[in-house]
Amino acid sequence: MSKISKLFAVKDVYNPEASDALYVEAMRENCAFSYNNCKEYQKILDAKGFKPKTITKMEDIERLPFIPTATFKRHELYSMPKHRHFIKATSSGTSSGIRSKVALDFTGCLHALRMVFKVMNQRHVISLRPCHYMVLGYKPNRHNEMAVMKTAYGFTWLAPALSRTYALKYSNGSYAPDLEGIINAVLKKGRGRAPVRFMGFPAYTYFVLKMMKDRGLSVKLPEHSMIMLGGGWKQFYKEAVDKETFYQLAWEVLGIPEDRIVESFGAVEHPVLYLDCPHHHFHVPAYSRVFIRDPHTLEVLPYGRVGLVNLTTPMIKATPLLSVMTDDLGILHNEPCPCGCKSPYLEIIGRVGLKDIKTCAAGAAKLLEGGMDK
Amino acid sequence: MILANGIVYPGDKQDELLDTLEEKLVNTLQNGRLNVDTVLDAFDRISRKVAAGELNSIIDEIDYEGKEEMIDQAIRMMGREYLEYKIQVELGSSRLYEKKDEGALITQRVPLGVIFHIAAGNMDVLPIMSIAEGLLAGNINILKLPSVDQGLTVKVMKLLLDEAPELTDYIYVFDTPSSDVAAMRRMADLSDGISVWGGDEVVKAVRTFAKPGTRLIEWGHRLGFAYISGYTDEEQELRALAKHIMVTKQLLCSSCQVIYIDTEDYAEVVRFSEKFLDYLEEAAVLHPVTEIGAVAELSLRRYVHELDTIIEGNQTPDAKGDEQVFRGRLTSVTAMKNPELELSYMYGNVLVKPLPRKRIASVLRRSKGYLQTAGLICREQERGELSEILLRSGLERVTRAGDMSSYFDGEAHDGEYALMRYSRITNIER
Repeated sequence: MSKISKLFAVKDVYNPEASDALYVEAMRENCAFSYNNCKEYQKILDAKGFKPKTITKMEDIERLPFIPTATFKRHELYSMPKHRHFIKATSSGTSSGIRSKVALDFTGCLHALRMVFKVMNQRHVISLRPCHYMVLGYKPNRHNEMAVMKTAYGFTWLAPALSRTYALKYSNGSYAPDLEGIINAVLKKGRGRAPVRFMGFPAYTYFVLKMMKDRGLSVKLPEHSMIMLGGGWKQFYKEAVDKETFYQLAWEVLGIPEDRIVESFGAVEHPVLYLDCPHHHFHVPAYSRVFIRDPHTLEVLPYGRVGLVNLTTPMIKATPLLSVMTDDLGILHNEPCPCGCKSPYLEIIGRVGLKDIKTCAAGAAKLLEGGMDK
Repeated sequence: MILANGIVYPGDKQDELLDTLEEKLVNTLQNGRLNVDTVLDAFDRISRKVAAGELNSIIDEIDYEGKEEMIDQAIRMMGREYLEYKIQVELGSSRLYEKKDEGALITQRVPLGVIFHIAAGNMDVLPIMSIAEGLLAGNINILKLPSVDQGLTVKVMKLLLDEAPELTDYIYVFDTPSSDVAAMRRMADLSDGISVWGGDEVVKAVRTFAKPGTRLIEWGHRLGFAYISGYTDEEQELRALAKHIMVTKQLLCSSCQVIYIDTEDYAEVVRFSEKFLDYLEEAAVLHPVTEIGAVAELSLRRYVHELDTIIEGNQTPDAKGDEQVFRGRLTSVTAMKNPELELSYMYGNVLVKPLPRKRIASVLRRSKGYLQTAGLICREQERGELSEILLRSGLERVTRAGDMSSYFDGEAHDGEYALMRYSRITNIER
C-alpha cells in the first residue's frame, strides 16, 4: 500500500501529530512521481535546486517549490497521459475567462471519496433521509466543467434527493439567476415533511434569505434541514454582512439553527475538503498542511500572522498539486478550539488584488447584477 | 449619488436628470457668465474653514500617508492668494474676459463652455481639483465620479455651493459606472471638452465616443524615473530617493520606477543595486507598505513570471544573466541589463538599469507619451546640460531625486497649463 493511500486511511483526521510522519513520506512519494513524470515540474524543481528525495521532515515541505494557481491557468501541467485523467476540473475563473486546468487521477478520486465521507461524517452531513435540494449555484450542463458546479452537484448525493431546484439556469449559452424560482420552491417544499438542504454560493443563499425577509416571508423548515455553503464569502465584504448576521437571518427566515449551517472550502487546485467545525473553524485535515507566507518575501510566517495561503497535499498524482499557492490571504490559528480538534485552523480573510477583488464567487455576483438590472 | 441643481439625488435618477440637462446647460450659457471672483471667494472661505478645523468631519474620511502635509497644502492652494497666482502663471496677461485691443480685433479669453471631467480614482481629491480648475476657467462642469469615490467629492461640492449658491448651475456630479458607456456618451455629447484622467484603456475608450471637434484634454498615466550621473552629496541624495520611493509607494505617475545609471557597465548597475537596497530597506521601515493584498499580488505575479520563464525556457535561467534581484525583508532592487523604461513591481521594488548619457534620447523616445518626471542626481555643474538632454528627449519635469512627486507652485501639468486648455481665445471685429 502506498504511503499516500495510508495517509487517506488514517483514523484521526484532525490530529496532525498522529499523521505528520506519514504525511512527509506521502509527499516525498508523490514528489518523486511528479518529478519523474511531469517535465515542467521537473524543470521548476531543478531550477530551484530541489530534490524530491530530500523531503524527510515537515520543514522540507516548506522548502518544496510551490506553484501558484495562476500557473495552472497559463500552462498544462500533467504527470499522467490524458487517458488516465479520471476527472477534468476547471476553476470558475476570473473576469479574464482563463481557468485552471487540473486533472484528477482515479486513485486520487478514490482517496477523495474516502476523505469526503470521513470529513462529512464529522458534521453529520451524510444521511439516508431523503430531502429536497436547493442548489444556489449552477445547474449542470455538459458544456460546463466548473468544479464549483460539480461539487455542489456532488453534495446533492450526500442524502437521497427528492428534488433539486437550481438558482443558476443555463439557457441560450449562458447562465441566468432565478432566485424567484428558489423562493417559490422553498415555500412549497418547506411545508412538507422532508428536510430541505441548501447548497452553494453564500452570496446567493444570502440574497434569497434577504429577499424573503424583505417580503415578510418565512417558513419553519422540517428538522434535519440544513444549509451548506461553499465558494467563499468574498462578495459579502461589499454587502458588509458578517457570518453572525447570516446565521441570524437563516434562523429567522427558515428556522435553521446555526449548528445546521455547514461551510466548506476547497479549490480546484487543492481538492481537499475543508469543512468547518461547529464553531465555524476550518481545521486542517490530515490530508493537507497549510503554510502562510509573507506577502513580500514569500517566506513561511508563524501562526497568527496574515499572509498568502499555501496549501499542500499528496492527494493527486495526475497534476502536480503538491504545493499550491492560492490567491487568498489568511491566518493559520493554533489556539485550542472548543470543538476538540487538535489541528490548527485556517481563516481566510481576503484575496490578493490591486483594486477590486475578482473571485470565483464574484463572477457569480456579476451575473446576478446583470440579471437584476434587466 | 448625483449632485445636480444643488440637490443630492440617488444614482437611479441619472437618466431622468440627463434628459433635462441640455436645456439647463443652454439656459445657463444663454443667460450669463460665471464670475471667477465668486469662485475665488468660495474657495478662500473653505480654505479658512479647513484651517480653523471646521471641516474635520469630512477631512477625517481621507486616508493617506502624509495627510497632514496634504491638508496644509490644500489650505494654501484653495486660498485666494494662491489661486490668483495660479491664474497669473497659467493665463499670464490674457486673463479670462479681459478684452484686449489687437488692431482691428478685440481679443478675449472666454471659457471653453461645458467640460466633462472623467476622473480617475488614484487620488481622493483629484475629481475636486479637476472641477476647481474647470470653475477657475469659468466653465460648466459635468463630472463622472471614479467608482472608488466614497462620497467625498459630492460633500465638498455641496460645501462649495453652500458658500456660493451662484455656482449651482456650473456643477453636476454623476456616479455613473464606467460600464455605462451610453450615459457617458450623452454627457460627452453635451460638452465642448472632455478632461480625462486615467490609463491607456480609459483614454482609448473616451476617444471612441468623443465626437470630432470635442476638445480632448487627456491627463494620461506616466512613468517616472531617476537618473544618476555622479553625486553632489551621495548619502543624502540616495536617502531622499529611497524615501520618495517608499512614501509614494511607486504608485504615482511621477513616482520612480526605474533608476538609470549613467554607465555602460552592467557590473556598476549591480554594485549600485546592492548598495541601494540598504537605503530602501531603511526607508521602508520608516514608511511601511500597509496594502498587503497588493503587495501579495505583485509578489505572486513576479513568481508566476519566474515560473513561466523556467517552464518555457530550455535551460534554467542564469541568475547572473539578464537580471539580478537583491531582495530585502521589505523591498527589492533588481539590476537589469535592458534599458527600457517600464513599470516596476511597485511598493518598494525598484528596477536599476544602465543608460549612458549618449543614449538617453534613443532609449527614452521609445517611451514618448509616457514620459513626465525625471529625478536627476548629478554633479551640480552638469545639472543644466543633463536637464536639457532629458527635456529634449520628451521629459516634462526634471527635479531633484527626492522631489519627484513634490508639487511646485505654478508648475505645469503634463506639459500644459490646465486653465489654457479649459478656455479659448475669441476675436470680435471692431
